[in-house]
Amino acid sequence: MDVQTQNSQLEKFFNPSSVAVIGASNGLFNLGATICNCLKNYIKFPGPVVAINRKAEEVSGYPGYSSVTDVSHDIDLAVIITPASVVPSFVRQCGEKGIRNIVIESAGFSEQGGEGKKLQKEIDDCAKQYGIRLLGPNCLGVMNNVTRFCCFYGAYDGIMDALNKAGGVSYVIQSGGVGVVIIESLMDDMQGINKMVSIGNKTDVDEADLLDYFNNDNTQVISMYLENVADGTKLMKAASRVKKPIMIFKSGRTEAGTAAALSHTAGMANNDVIFDSMCRQAGIIRLKSISELYSLPKMLTEMPLLRGNRIAAFTNSGAFGSISADIMVDAGLTIPRLSPETREKLSKIKGVFNVNNPVDIGPALPQVYLDLIDIILAAPEVDGLLLMSSIWRDFVIDVIKEVIKMCRHYDKPAAIYTPNSISKIISVRKQFNVPIFDSMEEAVRALVVSYEQLRYLRKKEQYIGADFKERD
Amino acid sequence: MEQILKNAIKRGQKSLSEYESKAVVKSAGVAITSEKLARSREEATTFAEEIGYPVALKGCSATLAHKTEAGVVKLNLADAKAVRDAYDEITGRVSEIDGVLVQEMIKGSREFVIGLTRDPQFGPCVMFGIGGIFTEAIKDVSFRIAPLTEEDAEEMIEEIKMKKLLGGFRGSPAVDRSELVRALVGIGELALRHSEIAEIDINPLIIAGNKPVAADALIILAG
Repeated sequence: MDVQTQNSQLEKFFNPSSVAVIGASNGLFNLGATICNCLKNYIKFPGPVVAINRKAEEVSGYPGYSSVTDVSHDIDLAVIITPASVVPSFVRQCGEKGIRNIVIESAGFSEQGGEGKKLQKEIDDCAKQYGIRLLGPNCLGVMNNVTRFCCFYGAYDGIMDALNKAGGVSYVIQSGGVGVVIIESLMDDMQGINKMVSIGNKTDVDEADLLDYFNNDNTQVISMYLENVADGTKLMKAASRVKKPIMIFKSGRTEAGTAAALSHTAGMANNDVIFDSMCRQAGIIRLKSISELYSLPKMLTEMPLLRGNRIAAFTNSGAFGSISADIMVDAGLTIPRLSPETREKLSKIKGVFNVNNPVDIGPALPQVYLDLIDIILAAPEVDGLLLMSSIWRDFVIDVIKEVIKMCRHYDKPAAIYTPNSISKIISVRKQFNVPIFDSMEEAVRALVVSYEQLRYLRKKEQYIGADFKERD
Repeated sequence: MEQILKNAIKRGQKSLSEYESKAVVKSAGVAITSEKLARSREEATTFAEEIGYPVALKGCSATLAHKTEAGVVKLNLADAKAVRDAYDEITGRVSEIDGVLVQEMIKGSREFVIGLTRDPQFGPCVMFGIGGIFTEAIKDVSFRIAPLTEEDAEEMIEEIKMKKLLGGFRGSPAVDRSELVRALVGIGELALRHSEIAEIDINPLIIAGNKPVAADALIILAG
C-alpha cells in the first residue's frame, strides 16, 4: 500500500465521523463507559456514537445495540474494550458491518503469550481478510487535540486541559502509562500535544506507519516511546524520508541474542548498540530519558536549528558560566573565544564583568541585556546561545520574548534557563509561551539535540539538493 | 568467490578457512596480505621466495578456529630453513588441514577490525573498530546497517573513541580513509548479496604504511 492511501485510511483513527464503543455498558467500573462519557461530556463529539453490549443498553445517552451489524448508519471507527476472548468475534462483526478502523484497547493478547498469542493471530487474520487497520491490542487509543477527538479509556476531566492546548508535538507511545506522564508533565510547559497514539502490541499499525502519517499532517515534532521495534527495516526507511524531527526514547537494553555468537563481531553487537546505530543512520534523535520526551521538543518548535557547535554562554553569575562550560564540553559543544571585534562591542556596554565567553554581567536594565544578546547573536564566531539569567524581575519574560525574536532574526537558537527564578518562571512559561528549561543540563541537551537535527536534516536534504549547509 | 562459498556449503563447513575467508573479503574490496596455500615443504619455500622474506606460516583449515592456541602460527620466518622447519612443525601438530598458508609479514602497529553480524530486526550490520587480540576487552567499535552509503562509513569511522589512531600517529602516516570506506561499504554489499554468510571478522586489519590490509579473516556460514 502506498503512503498516501495508507494515510487516508489511518486518518479515520484520528478524525472519525462516527464511533462504536464495543463493550461499553452501565456495569460497575466499565471501561467502555468511560470512553462514552469522554465522547459525550468532555469532547462533545459531534457525530453519532453507539454503545455495543449484550443487553443493547444505552450508555451516557448513546443508543445501545448488541451488535454493530444492527446499526443502520455507517461507522468509521470501532473501539473494542471487552475481555480478550470475545474480541475476535467483534472484529468479524465489524468487518461485516464495513468498519475499516478498529482500536482494540483490551489486554490479554501476545503480551501474555500462549493463548493470548493465538487470539492476536486470529484478530490479525480476520482484519487482513476485511482490509481493516487495527490499532493495538493492549493500548490506550488515540487523542487528537487539533480536532478534539479522544478515545482513551479512563479519561477524566483533566484531559480537557490537554485537549484545550493543542500544540506541535505528536506522540507515539507503546505504553499508556508513559502517555499519561507526558500529558501531565506538559500541563505546566508551553508545548502542547498535537496527537497521541498508544500502539500497545502493534499487531498492525506500528511506529513506522505513524511516522509516515505524522509526516503529512501539521505535526512539527514526532516523539516516541518504544519498548521494541515492530519491523526494523520499515522503521528505518520511513525515518529516512521524514524531515520533521523524530525523537525516540527506547527501553529494553537487553543483551539477548549475543550468547550464541561465534565471531567477535556478533559478540560485540547487541540490540541496543544496533538500535543506536540505526538512529544515527536514519536520522532519529535518540532520547536518554522519559522526561526528554516532553522537555526537548519545544527547542525544535520554537527556535531555529543550531547550525554549528560554537556556543556563547551568557550569565549573571560567574559560577554558572564555568559550570555550564563543563557541561557543554562534555556534550561535545565548544565555547569559542570571542573575536576582538565582538569583545570591543561588548566592552562598550556598562556593567559587563567579563567580555570573554562565557559573558558575565552584573545587575542591569532590560535594554542592556538585549543589547548584549544582540551583539552575541550577531557574532559570526557564535552559532547559538546558552542564556542563563539569574534574575527575577517582571521584565524577565519581556526580555525572553525579545530574545526569541532576535534568535529568529539571526537564525540562531538560544537555550534559556533562569537559575534564580526557576519555580516562578516555570509556573508562567505556559501562560507566556516561552521555551524555558528546567535545568542547565536540559538546556545544554536542547542545544545538542538541535544541532543533531540540523545534521540529520542536512543529510536528508542532500538527496533533493536543498541548501542546508552546516557553517564552518 | 561464489565457488568458494558453494563448495564450503556442499562440504557442510560451518565456517571458511582463513585462505577462503580472505579470498571472499578481497572480492568485496578489502585488501589482504599476499599469500599462497602450500601443500608441500618445497612449495612452501618456493612461495616464500616469491612473496619475499620474512613470511608467516599458518596451518589452514576450516575447522581450526584458534590457530595461535593450536600452535600453528609461525611468524617472522627469515629464510628457507626457517620456513621448512615451521612447515614440519605445523604439519606435525595437526593432521586435518587444507595446507599451510605462506603469507607476507606486514609491518604496522595499528590494528583495526571490520566485522559483520546479522541483527534479527535490522539485518546485516557492519562493524568497525579497534582490532587485535584485545578487541573485545577494549570494545571500541561502531556499527551501521547495510547497505551503507559512503557517508555512513565515514561516520562510523569517526565514531570510535580512538579515532586519533587513524590520523598521523607517532611517525606513521594518516590512514587512507577512502580504502577503509570502500572496505566497509563492500562488506555491507557482500552481506546483502550472500545470505549464506552469517558473520565476518576481519581481525587484525593492519595499517601497513597508510593502507588497511586484512592479516586474518574468518567467515561464519549460516547454519
